[in-house]
This record gives sequence, structure tokens and C-alpha cells, in this order.
Amino acid sequence: MTPPHWASGVSAGIHAAGSRDVVYVPDHPLSHVLRELEDRFRDVRRLLATREEEAFGMAAGLYLGGRLPTVMLQSSGLGNSLNALTSLLLPYQIPVLIVVSMRGDAGEWNPAQAPMGRAVRQILDAITVPHATVESADAAADIVRVAGTTAFATHMPGACLLPRRITSAAGLQETRESDPRVGGMRGPTA
Amino acid sequence: MTRLDATRLIVARAGDAPIVASLGHPAYDLFAAGDRPQNFYTWGSMGMASSIGLGLALARPDLRVFVLDGDGSLLMNLGSLATIGLLQPSNLVLVVMDNEEYATTGGQKTPTAYGADLAAAARAMRISLTATVRTALELQTAVDRARPGEGPCVIVAKVQESAPTVKPPLDYVAIKDRFMAGIRTPHSALS
Repeated sequence: MTPPHWASGVSAGIHAAGSRDVVYVPDHPLSHVLRELEDRFRDVRRLLATREEEAFGMAAGLYLGGRLPTVMLQSSGLGNSLNALTSLLLPYQIPVLIVVSMRGDAGEWNPAQAPMGRAVRQILDAITVPHATVESADAAADIVRVAGTTAFATHMPGACLLPRRITSAAGLQETRESDPRVGGMRGPTA
Repeated sequence: MTRLDATRLIVARAGDAPIVASLGHPAYDLFAAGDRPQNFYTWGSMGMASSIGLGLALARPDLRVFVLDGDGSLLMNLGSLATIGLLQPSNLVLVVMDNEEYATTGGQKTPTAYGADLAAAARAMRISLTATVRTALELQTAVDRARPGEGPCVIVAKVQESAPTVKPPLDYVAIKDRFMAGIRTPHSALS
């Protein structure tokens, strides 16, 4: 299966930023990134966490030991992460590249995802974590790489947001098909 | 055995190995037992000590990594046991200072006061080397069993509260920088 262009870019950006450890909580679009890392970047270690805050704790330990860590999560998990971000990574100046697969933005089918999806940027601004949005599949590698190198150089976590219109190009079509009012439950992806 | 007694014993057995301490009383007792560069004192992020230790153990397989957690703290991040069981870091020694209460916040009882068994939880999550200890001798035996390469290991130390009177400094970045230098973290991460 040919990987989506955006996922190849995200994987290449993580690698180019020097990160060889990706701690993640699964998400459907991110599965493409995980597969790309497995296929094309075998030197990147993929580490599953049970919860997003735990992923940030593990990332902090990896950094203390000399690694440049990435945390990959769905935007819904940002809420779970705030305690570790604000009382560990930020005060101790521990950098992490954060790759966020967006839910609740354009194309969302599940209303439960909407409130956090709308709030992600404001929350990151409020806790002073810089963030960039990957506006096109072509730009993914550069935006992720620069977010990572900036985070590691400045000792600050830095986030890249992957909008649903990039990660779910097919998913926007799916949105209508998966709305139970339109018919069928096929295809809603988490 | 008080938590301070147990902490002193761990520090004595750790040699130059890193010790990550959970916030509040475990960190205060680590400072009181012996301040050293290889101590990482957390001042927040309750529950994260075991995860920080796990990440460190994965980054530095050449080091034995000790974590001084609390029962209340581990209960806040119990999924960490599943991740440790999944990843099987053989150099991680997680010591849970189980005083059966939230001592830092006034002594409210934790579920371990009513029989919740954290060593059994660790075993259920595929951490095979576990012990529940009540005396200094039992603790020493358990720590010595957790030789490098033998872990991961979870030791639940049933301790009495030691009412710490000193605290580590609040300079977080200095704690981090000294720690990373103390365990000779490769310079690439300090760019």
C-alpha cells in the first residue's frame, strides 16, 4: 500500500529533526506514520504508551538520558497531557517534538471531538507551547523538522498540528457516509 | 522502617546510579538521605516518576535506574505498570514507598490502606520480579536481587511516614542540568 504523502513527510521530518524515539498513543491517521517509520526509518524506536500524559513522562526520561523524543497523539489527548506539560516539561525546560493528529476540526463527524478540537490552539497558546499547522502534504516534512529542531535548540516543547483535511482526504468523504443520519456506520475513523 | 530509612538504604545501594523521585515527601526524603547529582527531584507532575524512570532506562541501558515513587503517585498513573511490563526494561528498579496515605497533603488514606496490592498489580502486568518488604533487611535483599539486567523490578516498601523537614532547591533547570551531567548524558542532547 502506498503511504499517504503527508505521512511520508511527517516521518521524514521526525527523522530529520534527529528524533529516534517516538512515544505514541494510537490514532487512525497516525497509523500511517507508524507504518512509514517501521518501513523506512528502522532506526526510530516506536514506544506505545497507555495514556498521553504517560507518553510525555516517558519522553522526559528519554531526554534526560540523551535522546531527542517525539510524542505523537490525537488532539483529544492534549487534555490528558497538561499536568506533565505544565509541571514537568515547561519548568524543567525539557524539549519534545509533539505531533498532533487533529480531531474536531473541518471534516469532523463526531460532536464529542469538537470542543477540544476547537480549543487546541488556544490551550497551547495559554501554556506557551509554540505550534505550527501542517497546511499541505508537501509542507509536512519541513514543518515537522523545523518544529523539532527549534524545540530541541530552545529547550521547549513544540507542536505540529495535522489537520483532518490533510490526514483524512478520503475521510472527508467518509464523514458524510459515516453520519448515521445520512446512512450507514461505515468508515468512522478514530 | 520509615521512608527516610528506606531511602537512605536505596541511596547507599545505588552507587552512582540515577534516582528519580516523585514529588513531595519521596523527593524531600531523597534530598535528606543524600543530595547528589544523580538525583532527579520532581516538583510537580504527580504520577510521572515511574514514566520518567522508564524513559531514562530505555535511553540508558548502561545504567541501573531507580525510581522512588509513592503509592498515591503510582495509583495516579497505574497504566505505567502495563507499559513497563510491555517494554521490559531490564535496568529499571521501581521502589514504591507505600505509607498507605497521601502524607504530603495531610494523611488521607490511599486504597493500599484497604488492601490494594501494588506488587500484585505489577505481576499482573507482566513484571515478574516483585517484592513487598517491611524491614530494612527485606528491602536490601530485594534491591540486591534486582541486579542490572534482571529487571524490571517493582519493590513495594511498606514504610512509616518520616515527616521530612528539608526540601530540595526549587531551581528546576539546575536540577536537570546537574542530573544530566551527573549521569554523563551525551552532549548531543544538550545542544
